Amino acid sequence: MNTRNVLLVATAEWCYWRRSSLGVIASVVALLLVLASLISTNLRIDTERGARESFQATAEQTFKEQPARHPHRMVHYGHYVFRSPAPLAIVDPGVDAYTGTVLFLEGHRQNSAAFSPRYSAAQAGPLAEITPAFAYQVLLPLLLIIIGFASVAREREGGTAYLLATNSVTPTELWLGKTVALSGIAAIALIPLAISLVFALMQGESLTIVALFFLGYAIYLGCWCTLITALSSWSRRSSISLTFLLVTWLLLCIVAPRFGTTVAGIAIPLDGKIQSDLAVTSALRDVGDGHNANDPAFSRLRSQLLEQYNVETVEELPVNFRGIVAQASEKDLTALLNEFADDRMAQEAKQTQVARVFNVLSPALAIKSFSLSMASTDLSQHHQFLRDAEALRYDFVQKLNSLHAEKLSYADDIRRGSDDRAEQRTRVSSENWRLLKDFPWQPRSLSERLLDSLPQLLILLFWYICSAWLGITGMQRVFKNNDG
Amino acid sequence: MANLIREIRFALTESIVRWTLLLAFMLSGFSLANGLYEVRQQESQLATLKSEAQKDQAYVLPQQGDAGGAAYYMLHLTYDPPSELAFAALGLRDELPWKHRVKMLALEGQIYEADQSNPELAYLGKLDFNYLVSILLPLLIIGLLYDLDARERRESRYELLCASSRRGKGVLFDRAFARVVLLFLVIIVPFLIALLISGAKFYSGFLVLAPVLLHALFWLVICRVVTSRKIEGITAAAILFGTWLVVTSLVPVVGKSAVERWVEVPNGGEILLTQRETVNDAWDLPKQATMSRFLEVHPEWRDYAGIEGSFEWKWYYAFQQVGDQQVEPMSTALSQRIAGRDARMGWVSALSPPLMVDRWLTKSAETDITQHMRYIACVRDFHAELRRFHYPMLFGREVYSVEAMDELPQFSPCVVQN
Repeated sequence: MNTRNVLLVATAEWCYWRRSSLGVIASVVALLLVLASLISTNLRIDTERGARESFQATAEQTFKEQPARHPHRMVHYGHYVFRSPAPLAIVDPGVDAYTGTVLFLEGHRQNSAAFSPRYSAAQAGPLAEITPAFAYQVLLPLLLIIIGFASVAREREGGTAYLLATNSVTPTELWLGKTVALSGIAAIALIPLAISLVFALMQGESLTIVALFFLGYAIYLGCWCTLITALSSWSRRSSISLTFLLVTWLLLCIVAPRFGTTVAGIAIPLDGKIQSDLAVTSALRDVGDGHNANDPAFSRLRSQLLEQYNVETVEELPVNFRGIVAQASEKDLTALLNEFADDRMAQEAKQTQVARVFNVLSPALAIKSFSLSMASTDLSQHHQFLRDAEALRYDFVQKLNSLHAEKLSYADDIRRGSDDRAEQRTRVSSENWRLLKDFPWQPRSLSERLLDSLPQLLILLFWYICSAWLGITGMQRVFKNNDG
Repeated sequence: MANLIREIRFALTESIVRWTLLLAFMLSGFSLANGLYEVRQQESQLATLKSEAQKDQAYVLPQQGDAGGAAYYMLHLTYDPPSELAFAALGLRDELPWKHRVKMLALEGQIYEADQSNPELAYLGKLDFNYLVSILLPLLIIGLLYDLDARERRESRYELLCASSRRGKGVLFDRAFARVVLLFLVIIVPFLIALLISGAKFYSGFLVLAPVLLHALFWLVICRVVTSRKIEGITAAAILFGTWLVVTSLVPVVGKSAVERWVEVPNGGEILLTQRETVNDAWDLPKQATMSRFLEVHPEWRDYAGIEGSFEWKWYYAFQQVGDQQVEPMSTALSQRIAGRDARMGWVSALSPPLMVDRWLTKSAETDITQHMRYIACVRDFHAELRRFHYPMLFGREVYSVEAMDELPQFSPCVVQN
């Protein structure tokens, strides 16, 4: 193998493209598309982030500024959390647009997130979300096809391949040169991505993630470059090569992604939240109503407490029995709610896993999953948001319940409906509402994200190697024919 | 006709045509089988939910001692069942909720809850018949037609072919037309079978066939306009592909951004926060302040609106309603602007036939945003009906009894008026 020959072929190919108007126009259009998608997505996500963070601040402030009142009122007053987009959402917003942005947290209930950005968006059909991820995953391969479909087939068509062979350029060198030339275009196309990754870095994304994210996209485009020259080398004519490549693009980028999800939807049907809510209510009938301390479900708790403090009646307890009941029932209820919520999330995760089995069939699918996991804009990150929100909910509700149990007297608490003075005494001061924790955006751990995306990276490498092998064997076949 | 049959026979001798037709046939069959399955799935899920929800109501009701408790603890299932054509265009149903459970509390706090399916699958999208027709069909047509004229020229048969045919240059149109007819047939045969299986009214099938046919003809014309010039096949393919990209992706994207900038929608977070503040503030306000705001809308309860105790159910439900009243301008604006955005996207679709087909099919299948808003309006009406039912008992004009609850409104889906 002679590196000089490879570079010679590559440089010649570049000169050829510079002269062809089709290549130049396609490149300019593609570059403009990528830039437009980067800028518009960046602006959109930035606005979204600003709006959600300011709502979050407002929600926290209004909670903490509530006047003195009964702690259980605050349990029902509740709190709102807003889902902030991940730093890398400026490149791949992923499921951000498809998941609710705001979630109401209150006692005794787990609500679902409301207002996904798509809810009020103008509906413009299935290919109208031009994000940088879409541009790199779907549109750029098309550009590379238009530039590179004839690279090898053209030499064959014109019979120049034979001449090259006599000038002691080996078939592999020729193919490699063409591939290097095309990869050069891909490398230039990656520059805007690199710039926006710097923005993501500044917003706090880890360097490892950003570097690997870039590497993943580089390998993906590399896959296409080798695939294009490989299929080109197998084609007798440029027109056949183009047809071949366009059909390949259609199958890999447009059909395959939807195929996997469709199969996953059939293989694992979801029951949905209402169904599990109904199941929770029927299971709950054994847990007891936390508002009613006389509910028979709490009689064991009562006798236990009476024994522990060695007293005869709940009035004599040093703690407020109602608060204790509220705490105990919230704990049992939450365990039950979490069990069902975990079930639902596990079902969804299984669906996604089934869909990801099909990633082997298409590098475009593998890069999609890779990109989502890396950018933290996938299903798991959404689940993480739901879990974080639930943890926050449980935390403030139980803190309020413990105020209820420790700071309020039982005698006042049961009379507050009829006695105004008792009612005043059951209010705790506003400073207590500072117990509410902040809700920062937390990405999944680095190792989880890497572990999720590693298989996808391997699939990409597998495609890279396979198409390289296809290219080299294709070239050897051509030259054997020429010799013969 | 004889020409057409001859050209069809000729087209079928080419392997690339046969393979493309097979691919189209399989995609069509797969997408429709999935659509039928998905609709069955939704129907069976709905049947389970309905019976579960009924059991829940039957369990809860006898335990209630007063009108307030009955109103508080009874949950009502509302839903938007899939239409008979939903299998052809699944539309927004995997993204926007088509079922809600509501109760007598402030509706604005409940109606935006989303019983959602897997967001990652929704993001990737499903392969339904609509996707095949609006997005893939043009590509299949381009694939079959881009090289027709250029190949004849390349092989120096063009002049001979045109001269020896009675139809002159029209022979190439016949050839292209024959291929489109074949493609149309392999796509609609599975559709007709699916239509039979689904039990939908046969004439409603025309609502789907018409856009498929028109879309196919549109691309036939575009392909002819491009390929009949004296250009190479490769150039024709690049131009046609570019056209496809512009009308399926670029026009919708630009249109969408413009429409969204033009018609601004109120932020959902603001609706929720305002509603919550209003409902909660009521606990600390003088009760008459709440009641007078309530009576502005419901003067008929003036004689019953006195509040004596520190807690009365009628006051509780009055402030729930006042919470809704407070955000009504915002929520009305939200639905109006969503409808406004959609209407303007209708104009945009004039420049994008694939988008037009997508809108046409989802409209016929009642899986578009209009249908979703219609469903939400239906839930609002039902909630208003619940209030009308409960208020006489809550305000004490009528006496609460479990028997009186026999008349409790039951949700039934709103029927679309065509």
